[in-house]
Amino acid sequence: MLDKLKMTRRTFIKVAGGTTAAAAAAPRLLSAMEQDLGGKDFSPVDLKERQAIPVNCHVCNIQDGAIAYVENGRVVKLEGNPEHVSTRGRLCAKGNAGMWYSYDPDRILYPLKRVGARGEGKWKRITWDEALNEVAGKIKEVLDKGEPNEIMLKYGRNRSGGAIDRFMRTLGSNTIVNHTSVCESSKKIGMEPTWGPDIETPDFANTKYVLNFGSNILEAAYFHNPLSQRIAEGRVDNNMKIVTFDVRLSNTAGFSDEWIPVFPGTDGAVALAMGHVILREDLQDSEFIENWTNVSVKELKEHYKQYTPEWAEKLSGVPAAAIERIAREFAQTKPATLFTYRGPCKHLYGSYNEKACMMLPIMTGNVEKRGGYCLPRGMGWPQPQPEPAKPGKDSYLSHPPDYPLAAHKVSHLTPFFLADGKQKIKIYFTYQDNPVYTNPGSVAVWGKVMRDEKLLPYFVSMSSHMGEETALADIILPDCPYLERWEPESMPNSLWPWLGIRQPVHAYLGESRENRIILRDIIHKVDPDGSRGMKKFWNFKDGEDYMRQHFDNIPGLKEAGGMNWLKKHGVWPVYGKLDPKSGKVTDKTGREIKADYGLYKKELSDADMAGAVVDKNGTITKNGKAIGVKRGGRNYVGFPTGNRLINVRVEHWAEYGFNPMPTFKQVPWHKDIKDDDLILTTFKLNVHKQSRTAAVKWLAEIAHSNPAWMNPQTAKKIGVKTGDLIRVESKVGHMVTKAYVTEGIHPKVIAIATAFGHWEYGRLATLKLKEKPQWGGQDDPDLNNVWWDDKGVHPNAIIPVVADPIGGSQGWYDTVVKVTKAGPNDKYGDVQGDWQKHYEAYKETIRYAYTGDLHRKMHPEMASWAGPESLKGKAPGGGH
Amino acid sequence: MLKGLAIDVSRVEPVEAPESAEETRQLLEARAGLYRLLAGVFVEEPGREFLEALRRPEALASLAEAGVSFDADFLEPGLDQLIDALSTEFTTLFAASGGFPPVESVRLTGRYQQDPLFTVREDYRRAGFKALKGRFAVFEDQLGMELLFIAEMLESCARALDCGDRSEYNRLTREVKRFWTLHLGKWVRGYCGLVQRATEHSFYREMAKFLEAFAGEEIALLKLRIEDTDQGREIVPKSEIQVLFNPDEPVCNACGENTDAQGGARA
Repeated sequence: MLDKLKMTRRTFIKVAGGTTAAAAAAPRLLSAMEQDLGGKDFSPVDLKERQAIPVNCHVCNIQDGAIAYVENGRVVKLEGNPEHVSTRGRLCAKGNAGMWYSYDPDRILYPLKRVGARGEGKWKRITWDEALNEVAGKIKEVLDKGEPNEIMLKYGRNRSGGAIDRFMRTLGSNTIVNHTSVCESSKKIGMEPTWGPDIETPDFANTKYVLNFGSNILEAAYFHNPLSQRIAEGRVDNNMKIVTFDVRLSNTAGFSDEWIPVFPGTDGAVALAMGHVILREDLQDSEFIENWTNVSVKELKEHYKQYTPEWAEKLSGVPAAAIERIAREFAQTKPATLFTYRGPCKHLYGSYNEKACMMLPIMTGNVEKRGGYCLPRGMGWPQPQPEPAKPGKDSYLSHPPDYPLAAHKVSHLTPFFLADGKQKIKIYFTYQDNPVYTNPGSVAVWGKVMRDEKLLPYFVSMSSHMGEETALADIILPDCPYLERWEPESMPNSLWPWLGIRQPVHAYLGESRENRIILRDIIHKVDPDGSRGMKKFWNFKDGEDYMRQHFDNIPGLKEAGGMNWLKKHGVWPVYGKLDPKSGKVTDKTGREIKADYGLYKKELSDADMAGAVVDKNGTITKNGKAIGVKRGGRNYVGFPTGNRLINVRVEHWAEYGFNPMPTFKQVPWHKDIKDDDLILTTFKLNVHKQSRTAAVKWLAEIAHSNPAWMNPQTAKKIGVKTGDLIRVESKVGHMVTKAYVTEGIHPKVIAIATAFGHWEYGRLATLKLKEKPQWGGQDDPDLNNVWWDDKGVHPNAIIPVVADPIGGSQGWYDTVVKVTKAGPNDKYGDVQGDWQKHYEAYKETIRYAYTGDLHRKMHPEMASWAGPESLKGKAPGGGH
Repeated sequence: MLKGLAIDVSRVEPVEAPESAEETRQLLEARAGLYRLLAGVFVEEPGREFLEALRRPEALASLAEAGVSFDADFLEPGLDQLIDALSTEFTTLFAASGGFPPVESVRLTGRYQQDPLFTVREDYRRAGFKALKGRFAVFEDQLGMELLFIAEMLESCARALDCGDRSEYNRLTREVKRFWTLHLGKWVRGYCGLVQRATEHSFYREMAKFLEAFAGEEIALLKLRIEDTDQGREIVPKSEIQVLFNPDEPVCNACGENTDAQGGARA
C-alpha cells in the first residue's frame, strides 16, 4: 500500500512558500488569447473569421483607431485597431458600444417635416426630393434678397474635414457658429497666442513628474484613451509622480500620488505661486527662457514677485507649504510635464488660468523634451478643388465684436444676441449639436429661442437622433451615425502624427445619408444648372470619391497606396508592430518606436533660407512672414507663432486692456461667497459624453443617473444623507436631485455629472415609454431589460451664462448655489430656469468684455490702456 | 374565409381542407389578396389610390362583415385630409423617434438590422426575390414586406396548382409554414395588440385588429403552433380568462385521496 499524503491548507502555504522560485521557472505555455488575436475576430457559432473593417471611432472626439467586426452585414463587435500608433489596439467602453447608435430603434431614418407646433412631436415622413426642394426653396429666397448671412449653421461635433465650411462658403454666409465656447475655448486661447497650438501633448510615458490641473484624463478629457495608457506606463515603467489639483476626487485624482482639492477657478493662482517659488529659488531654465521666449528671466522674476504662496493660499485654500514643496519637486525633477483640461479654463478668466499653468513647464525648460510638455503632432490633407472663397461680409454671431480675442467664438451667447436683434436669421441649420441640452440655460434659454418662429423662422436639423434641439426643428434631414460615414481624420493624441479615415462598415439604414451628401444635394437643388456658381464646388460622386480627393496625393501616403491603404489599414503610417506583451508599438528589433522631440529645433534648409532676412533679435523673415529663429549660429524653425517664439508677453491682449503677462483674476462673485453658499460644478463620467451617449444601451446600463456629490460637512449642515432629496438653487433657477455624500469633494463645491436627465433622445435616455404602457414601454424587448427607473437630472437650466472676455468660454464652474434639504413641494427631477433671469446674467457677463464697464475695474494694472474707443475699426483676432 | 375577429378559442372552428383544387386555388388567391391589402396598410403611408379603393362601399361592407368598423375619422374626411392625417399617424407610430417600428428585428431584439433581417433577406433570396424601394427605403423584415412575401408565395402556390405541379405546391406551402413559424408567427399578433392600444386613428386600430385575427386564422389554417414572442401582446389578468375547464382541478388523480399505498395512478 502506498502511503497517502495528508494535505491541509497549512501545507499548501508552506510548500508554495518554499517553491516560489521553482514555480516561476516552470514553462509558461499559455498566453491570453485576446492579445494574440488583436485585429482578428471569429464567429463563436461557425468559427469563421469575421470581416474586419478599420475605422476611426467617433463616439467621443478622441478619435481612437478601431476595428468593426462585421458578420452578415451587421457590426457584432468593435475593438481597438492594433495598427493605430496612438491607441494601440485599445478602445474604451464608449467605443466598444458604438454600434448601438446605428441600430437604435429611435434613430431617425427618414426626412421628417413638422406638422404640429414646434416641439409638439408631430411629424410627417417626406421624401428626400420633397425635403431638399423645401430647404433649397427657403435658401434661394434668402440668397435672392442678397443677405446670405441670414443663413446660419451651428455645429457641435464637426469632423466633416471641411465640408461644413465649404457649404457655408458656397452659400456666401459667414454665420457659422460652433460649440467650442461650451467646450474648452479658453484653454485654446490661453495657449495659442503663447506658443501656437491649442493643446499640449504631455509625454506621460517618459516623465518623472506630472502636475495635473483640473483634468480627469483617466476618464474623459482629451485624449482619454491614448493618454491613459501613457500615464499607466509612466507610473509602472518610470515610477512617475502625479499631483492632481481638482475640486473632485475623480478617478484620475484617486490614481494620483496627491489629490489637492482647490477652490474652483483658482488653479491659476496656485500655478503662479509655484512659478514664484521656482523663480525666487532660481530653479528656472534660464537658457530656455532667454532663447525661446519673448521675455527675459529678469522680467519674469520681477513679474512673479507678486504671486506669493501665501497670496495663493488665501484664494485657493491650498496650503502655502504644499505650494512651495510641489513647486520645488516639479522644478527639480527632470523631466516633468503638466496637463490641464476644463478645471482651470472654464471660468470667467479661464484664459489667464490656462496661461498661468502652461508657464510652469515653459519656465522650467520642459518644453519639447522626452518626458516633457510637447507640442501636438497632427497631419493635414488638401481640400478638393475648386474651393469656394471666404465670404466677405462678417457675421455678428460668428465674431461678436465685444469678444475680439475669442477666436473660437462665443457661441453660447447666441440666443441672447438673437433676442437683442444683433443679427437677423432666416434659416438655422444644426449639425451634431444639441445646445438645448448642452448649453448654459439649456431649455430655459435655447428652448425658448428655438421655439420662437419670429427669431428663427425656419429650423433645419441634420441629425441621426431626436435630440432636444432636433425635437424643435421644422424639418429633419436624417444624418447617419459614424459607422456609416466617410470622414478624414487626424488628431494629435500621441507623439506620433497620423492620418486616418472613418469608412462605412455597412450601408446607410433607411434613408439616412452622410452629411456631405446632404449638403451636396442641397447645393445641387439651389443651383441645379450651375448658374449661381455653386455647383462646381460640389463635384463628387459619393463620400469615397470625396475622400480620394483628400488623400490620393499626399506624399508618402500616395506611394503607400493612398486611399486604398487607408481603407485597408484605417491609419497611416503604421509605425511598427504592436507587441502583445508590452502593449507598445515596436520596430523589427522589438524596441519601442521612438518619438521625435525638439520640434522647434528643426533646422531650416538652405532652400528655406534663400531670400530670408535675419533681424537683430534673430527672427528669420521671408516674404514678410517669420519662418524661424537664429540661435547660436543655427537657423531653427522655432514655435508656430507670429514671431516663432513662445510669447510669455501677449502684446495683442494688452491692446484690448487685458494683462499681457501671466496673471490671475478671481471670479468677483466668489470673493464674498457666504458660508452656506456652494459652487456648482459639472463633470463627465467615463462612459458618457456630453449629450449623445444616453441612447447607447450598454452605456446607459452602466451609468444612468447623476446624484449630486457633496461633502459630509455640507450634508451635516443641511441635514441630508446619501439618497436624500436636495434643492439646488442658483440666481437663475432651481433643481431637485439626490445627494451623494462623499469626502471626495471640496467642502465648498457641489458637483453634478452631465449626460443625464434627458427629456428627448429616445427611449433609453428618457425612459418615457416605461411610463406609457400603451406605447409598448413594458413590451419593448430592450426596455424590458431596463431595470432602472432613474434617468438623472440635468443641471444646465440653472447655470447662467458667463463669458470669458478673452477666450469666450462659458464659466461652467462659476455658479454660486444654495443647497437645502428638499421641501414638501419639491419632487425629484424638478428643474426650472427663468429666461428673464438668464437674460440678466447675460447682461451682467458682457460688462466684463473689453467694451464693458467692469473691464477696467478688473484690470487696475492696465490703467494706461487707452480704452475701447482707441480700437475702433481694428480687425478682430486672437488666434495665432 | 374569416369567421370573425373575436379572440375566443371556443369560436375557432376546425379548418377543413378544401375538397377541390379549384377551391384551394380560390382560397390561395383570397389569402394572397388579404396579405397584399394588409401589406398596403403597414408597408408605408397609404396612398390616394389605396384609400380610395378601401373607402368604396363594397370594400367597407366586406370589411364590416369581417368585423372591421372604422370611425368617422376614416369615413368622413376628404381624401386629401385623410391622406394627411394617416401620414402623420403612420410617422408617429412607425417611423419617428419614440414610436414602435413594425420591424421584426426591433420587435424581437429591440434594435434595427439584427438577425431576423438577415434570415428574412436570405429567405427572399432563396425564393428568388429581392426587396425594392417603395416611396421610402424599407427594411426586408418590415411587417409589410413580410406580408408581401407570403402573398407572393401564395400566388406561386396557385400557379403551381394551375400547372398541376403538386410537389411544387407542397414545397411552397412548406415555405409559407416555415416563414410563419420563424418570422411572422413570432411577432405579428402581439404587435397588432400594441398598435390597437397606441393608435389614435380608427384606420390603424381596425386594420391591426383585422391583421391580428387574420394571423390567428392563418396559423390555424396552416396547422401551426407558434408562440408569439413579441411582448406587445396584452397581459390579461387571470381573473378575466374564460376557460373550458377548472384550472385548479388536478390534471390526474395521482395525488388525490384515492391514491393507494402502493402508489400508481388509476384512471
